[in-house]
Amino acid sequence: MAIVKKYQVTIVAIENKIEGVYTLSFSSEKGFKYSPGQFLHLAIDPEFDGSGQWPESRCFSMQSSPSEEYVRITYAIKGDFTRQMEKTLKVGSEVWLKLPYGELFEQEHKKVRTVFIAGGTGVTPFLSLFTHSSFTEYTNPVLYAGFRDKTMNLYQDELETAKKINRNLIVNIIYQNEAGMIDIEKILTDNQTDCSFFISGPPVMIKLFKQSLIEKGVPASNVSTDDWE
Amino acid sequence: MHDQKQLRQEIIAKTIEYYQVRFAQTEFIPGKSKVNYAGRVFDELEMVNAVEASLDFWLTEGRFSEEFAEKIADFLGVDNVLLTNSGSSANLLAFSALTSSKLGDKRLKAGDEVISVAAGFPATVTPIIQYGLIPVFVDVDIHTYNIDIEQAERAITDKTRCIFIAHTLGNPFNLDAIMKLANKHNLWVIEDNCDAFGSRYDGKYTGTFGHLATISFYPAHHITTGEGGAIITNDSQLAKLVRAFRDWGRDCYCMGGENNTCGKRFSQQFGNLPFGYDHKYVYSEIGYNLKMTDIQAAIGSAQMDKLEEFCDRRRANFKKHYTIFSKYPQYFSLPSATENSDPAWFAFIVTVKSEAPFTRDGVTRHLNSKLIETRNLFAGNMTKQPAFVNKNWRIADKLDVTDQIMNNTFFLGTYPGLTDDMFEYERKIVDEFVISYTV
Repeated sequence: MAIVKKYQVTIVAIENKIEGVYTLSFSSEKGFKYSPGQFLHLAIDPEFDGSGQWPESRCFSMQSSPSEEYVRITYAIKGDFTRQMEKTLKVGSEVWLKLPYGELFEQEHKKVRTVFIAGGTGVTPFLSLFTHSSFTEYTNPVLYAGFRDKTMNLYQDELETAKKINRNLIVNIIYQNEAGMIDIEKILTDNQTDCSFFISGPPVMIKLFKQSLIEKGVPASNVSTDDWE
Repeated sequence: MHDQKQLRQEIIAKTIEYYQVRFAQTEFIPGKSKVNYAGRVFDELEMVNAVEASLDFWLTEGRFSEEFAEKIADFLGVDNVLLTNSGSSANLLAFSALTSSKLGDKRLKAGDEVISVAAGFPATVTPIIQYGLIPVFVDVDIHTYNIDIEQAERAITDKTRCIFIAHTLGNPFNLDAIMKLANKHNLWVIEDNCDAFGSRYDGKYTGTFGHLATISFYPAHHITTGEGGAIITNDSQLAKLVRAFRDWGRDCYCMGGENNTCGKRFSQQFGNLPFGYDHKYVYSEIGYNLKMTDIQAAIGSAQMDKLEEFCDRRRANFKKHYTIFSKYPQYFSLPSATENSDPAWFAFIVTVKSEAPFTRDGVTRHLNSKLIETRNLFAGNMTKQPAFVNKNWRIADKLDVTDQIMNNTFFLGTYPGLTDDMFEYERKIVDEFVISYTV
């Protein structure tokens, strides 16, 4: 894990293809250093000038690959902080980031038939890995990504890139309005219990899926989750 | 009534004024002023940073610690920099990290052997003994004062697990050969880089080759924070272990004043603790508390901006000493930079040849009587130091050169505070001394 640094960044792009869901791209003069699957802290306090104590911030998974020029995150409006983000952040706004944090893919795991399970924007830390050159180290990885409907899948371009980087990637997209929720039982039928599983998404989903996997015989050490309190 | 911003500005302005009055002007009077072997070199920027940190009164690791660590990481091009309270603590922490059970079969255990040298500073060796491992002392080369590579290779046994050596007085050891040996025998390498911050080997900074490396910020070193040191590594697992050992053994990596940066403070399971036990108080190693303060880091951050210039001046001062002593090749053996290296010399090291009509102690007594400070190469032969006499170590072969260094070697400073007037004075004193034996 690279040293944690503070970055004063400029927002270079804001995408808002669906109501309440935003993708932000940040640029920094000093260049970002992080690994796939890591997360950042974002502070929007206008009084903070980089000195003094780090202000109130929120964690966001980095969706971009470390080899990209900009850092990208996607957030959905869920509380006061994200509402404030929606209200105040514009292209050209300067905010502070502190990164990198987390060790999602640095934990020991198997790289053969690795199973990635994502709900909604939870797919973003996986995209960071999928679009990075290190993704070629994985043999026959498989993704199960669930979205409410087709409009919520903002990630098709990145998934196409991922398939070019690792041609053996199996992508299963499940649209809730067509096929219902992701079926963890089916995932277990499709894959062996000795695979490594990564789960990212809403906290309830993570808790439920992790519990199910362990109950069905997957060792707890084979289940990694990307979740925060 | 002043507001705090205005007061702060006034205090900073007065600090700069104080620096100018108290420290800016120094006059060298030959024979009356000391020519130190080392010393802190600073200007108003270090004092301003120290005062800023004092006014913050944050005290423990804070904004200046982040800034200082970041500057070191950027300078060396490394991923992890952990600040600590001394170079010796850095050595202890680097070594401790390798004893963690989290490293599985690769961990260092009591009874394992570690390749080192006896001609150096004790802090490179003491952690080995403190953890119950066996230092295996290898002789050094009289020209570079670094480990004898052939002897090092012969010293490796099936018990050898690590190589822990210093870049002697800033002169890089043969990193190419050492890393090849380490790879061949699957050994850990700790570079004691305390005397070599800014030295290069094969175009890369020393401290970036081994699994772990250490830096010292004691005032004699390339930059200073008073007391202080750092551990550097590109290995994220080792960085985590060093941090744990440094911070009471705790598992959490939040800095002072930070909480829940991992976002999992109350939702993990550790040891036999109940699920969700506060991660801030989970201890995964038997650790210490060896952190740096923010006031130290504030000074260090200002010093980092001068490091390259300081290293250049050390290199230039080395050449000036060389000019003085190279006039007498029949009496003095002079140092050589390791092949393929560019040392940021910590010191200028001299060995008095056996055929000289004077002894090392004769020279150093004379120089010191003329207020030119000298030092021996630290512990000389460590195995003969009282603390080491009855300890569990092994001499690989013979320590002939080490003994020669113990008896005949001394060094002079190369620190950036030395002036041309001082060198002119040194030239005169050395010439007078040598001539007194030859006429």
